[in-house]
Amino acid sequence: MRPSVRLLNLEVPSIHGARSLYVCSVCRHEARPRPIVARQFLRNASSANSLTEKVRRKIWGTDNPPGLKDPYGGEGVIERKFKNKHAQTVVEEETPEASQALDTAASEDAAPAADDYEPATTWEGLDRVGHLGRWFDIAPAATEVYESFQVKKKITKQGLLSLAAHQTVVELCLMHKLGKPLTSICEVVEHDQSVFKLIWKTKIVPASNGQWTAALEYPDKEAEEALVYIFEQVGGQNVAPEIEEVTQDVDVEDARSDTTDIVDMDGSKQPFFGYQRTRDNGFLSLSLDDPATKFAFLKRFSQLTGHFFPDPAVHSITTVQQVVDYVQNLAKPKPKKLAEYLANNPRYQSMPNVKVFAKRQKRSDRDEELGRKKLIEAELRARGLIE
Amino acid sequence: MKRLQPQRWSSSVLSPQVRAGCRLQRRIQHGLRYQTTTTPFPVTEAEAKQPIQDLVPPPKKRSSRSAISKHSLPSPPVKAARESAKLAALHARLYLPARLPLETLARTLVDESADPNPDFNNESLATLGHDLLTQYTSEYLICTYPRLPMTVIFAAMYAYVGPKTLSAMVKEWGVELAVAPGGEVDPGHLQFKRLDPGVNPNQPLKNPNRPYENEATWRRSISSKIVYDDVFGEPVRASVDPRQQVQSADRYAAGVTPEQACSQFVRAVLGAIYLHAGRPAAKRFFEQHFISRHLNISDLFNFREPARDLSRLCARENFEPPYAKILSETGRLSRHPVFVVGIFSGKDKLGEGSGSSLLEARSRAAVASLKGWYLYSPLNVRLPNSMEEEGAAPWKPVHVDLGEVIV
Repeated sequence: MRPSVRLLNLEVPSIHGARSLYVCSVCRHEARPRPIVARQFLRNASSANSLTEKVRRKIWGTDNPPGLKDPYGGEGVIERKFKNKHAQTVVEEETPEASQALDTAASEDAAPAADDYEPATTWEGLDRVGHLGRWFDIAPAATEVYESFQVKKKITKQGLLSLAAHQTVVELCLMHKLGKPLTSICEVVEHDQSVFKLIWKTKIVPASNGQWTAALEYPDKEAEEALVYIFEQVGGQNVAPEIEEVTQDVDVEDARSDTTDIVDMDGSKQPFFGYQRTRDNGFLSLSLDDPATKFAFLKRFSQLTGHFFPDPAVHSITTVQQVVDYVQNLAKPKPKKLAEYLANNPRYQSMPNVKVFAKRQKRSDRDEELGRKKLIEAELRARGLIE
Repeated sequence: MKRLQPQRWSSSVLSPQVRAGCRLQRRIQHGLRYQTTTTPFPVTEAEAKQPIQDLVPPPKKRSSRSAISKHSLPSPPVKAARESAKLAALHARLYLPARLPLETLARTLVDESADPNPDFNNESLATLGHDLLTQYTSEYLICTYPRLPMTVIFAAMYAYVGPKTLSAMVKEWGVELAVAPGGEVDPGHLQFKRLDPGVNPNQPLKNPNRPYENEATWRRSISSKIVYDDVFGEPVRASVDPRQQVQSADRYAAGVTPEQACSQFVRAVLGAIYLHAGRPAAKRFFEQHFISRHLNISDLFNFREPARDLSRLCARENFEPPYAKILSETGRLSRHPVFVVGIFSGKDKLGEGSGSSLLEARSRAAVASLKGWYLYSPLNVRLPNSMEEEGAAPWKPVHVDLGEVIV
């Protein structure tokens, strides 16, 4: 009979040495020291000094009986694996006679020491890692400057949120159409005003099958060509100059006339160049069932608006409408506290025997109401415990 | 019957902003009584229901006090009364008339020991309330039980309007006691300066007006108690000599007991009701809160020798001398015999009592006879204060007996 690994471990601790291994109480009881005769049978049958080996030798009358060296096939798979694992980790705990194999394994692992190695006695001359003091005086490198992925100020107005969603939808539709990686649109933080006007003019007509590729309705052929040309450059190195070349023919004055008085004199500081609302709301009904599209949409949308979407919200979102609704809910004012509600309630204001406190009433307030607080403070002051 | 008008006296009570001189002047005014033909207070229902805002001008702002912090005041400021929920709750709980403003109710809660200023404490209201209480109660007792002995009247007065009863009423009303008086204290708490620890509140009081006051072992007769002591037959605290009242600021320097402060508060409430809502409201309040309390007067008697008292009584009233007869008996030779003894005067049975011995049964019968005499109560009792109302029927004198037998 071959005992289990765990019992082996307990009985022959010098081989494996895993004292920390859990042994249940029954097994531990079984593994208690027994009379020698009984213990001999429990020993590993494969070991050279086992009782079966002795009997075998006695039967054949020679020290080298014929047949297999170990009729039981040697150590089991688990034992071998277990042994190898321990040979690498626990080296020093092993007693010398039991860890011959382990020693060889450890010596192979150890890196050969260099001949000219000289251990250091002081820190002088050693390599420095990091700044040992006054690191804050060093000017930051160009790579160390942090630039936020999102816009710095969160957008909360409803019209601007719709603009952001519309722009995102148009961009993603174009990326779908061009077969480009969707999230690469995020490399373009902000479009040129003329490009934005083209996007703004583009309408979304959701198809019946929910396909994003066929949802765009361009104002004219020229705009379609321009947009496709521009978005083909996205992901490349040089975007801005291309845009300028293409959009020369777009009438800027026309765009101004559309938004008229809404646009400020310095539209550069305003988000979306002063545009306040979208031309149509067709984008709201677009589906976000495709996980890749949803991820790309939320990434681009959060880049444009500055809002973060937690996982539960992301999970529950299925359409663009829900995204816009979620962000608008965030912008709602916090619910009033009960105390404010009660204090402003005319019913309680007219009741003379009801008093609503804005703050929580503590024991010290109660003390003051009873006139006890001044006595306590006087006593504390007399003992020098308060000033 | 003459009507008493507390108008000039009450002017300082009704308007706390007016500094009506020192206590000395008020004490002198207290002694003066004025006769009038008009009643200054509402007597009709419609008049009494009129809200207080129409009758009393809104209190003026005290500009000099507004800059002072609340902690420096000895009692809560007047404007704090409107902000206190406890005060409004107490007003509603006691079902006080709407004409009694919260400011006055707050003033009744400030004891003289908390704020020595007579314009802001309840001392004047309590004086009025005490007079009203004792007058109404003594009228009720004497007219309802015209033959009560004086000691029983004292005990009944103490039981109806004594300080222990009044402080129990304060507890029932749910008024909390402030730990220490001050401007920051909620006006809904009863404020008074507590006695310092170690002070004996039950020190024997001495009345300098009383002759032989220093003779501690001398017996004090009931008659002398009627003359010199207060309505409960107990020695009064001090005289109201105006020359001594000047130092009254330090009279309460040691503080008062909660019992004293509570009784002063209850009296002040009655006085405030009388001043603000008029006599009918005060009488109603008195009936609802004082006379409605159950008191078994027959328990207040304590006879030492009832048989002798009864024979003296029969002699005084020209009855035939009383004699005792066994009405029935059982188990005379057993361990628990019961005798029923009746006391007769002539053919009239005065009383009957039972006991385990003949003597015990006879004295019980004598006690029953005496109580039957003393606790006589006429039908259709009419109190003298009913004559204060408009259109009262002509007064018929009530029967008041000679009183107890003096042996």
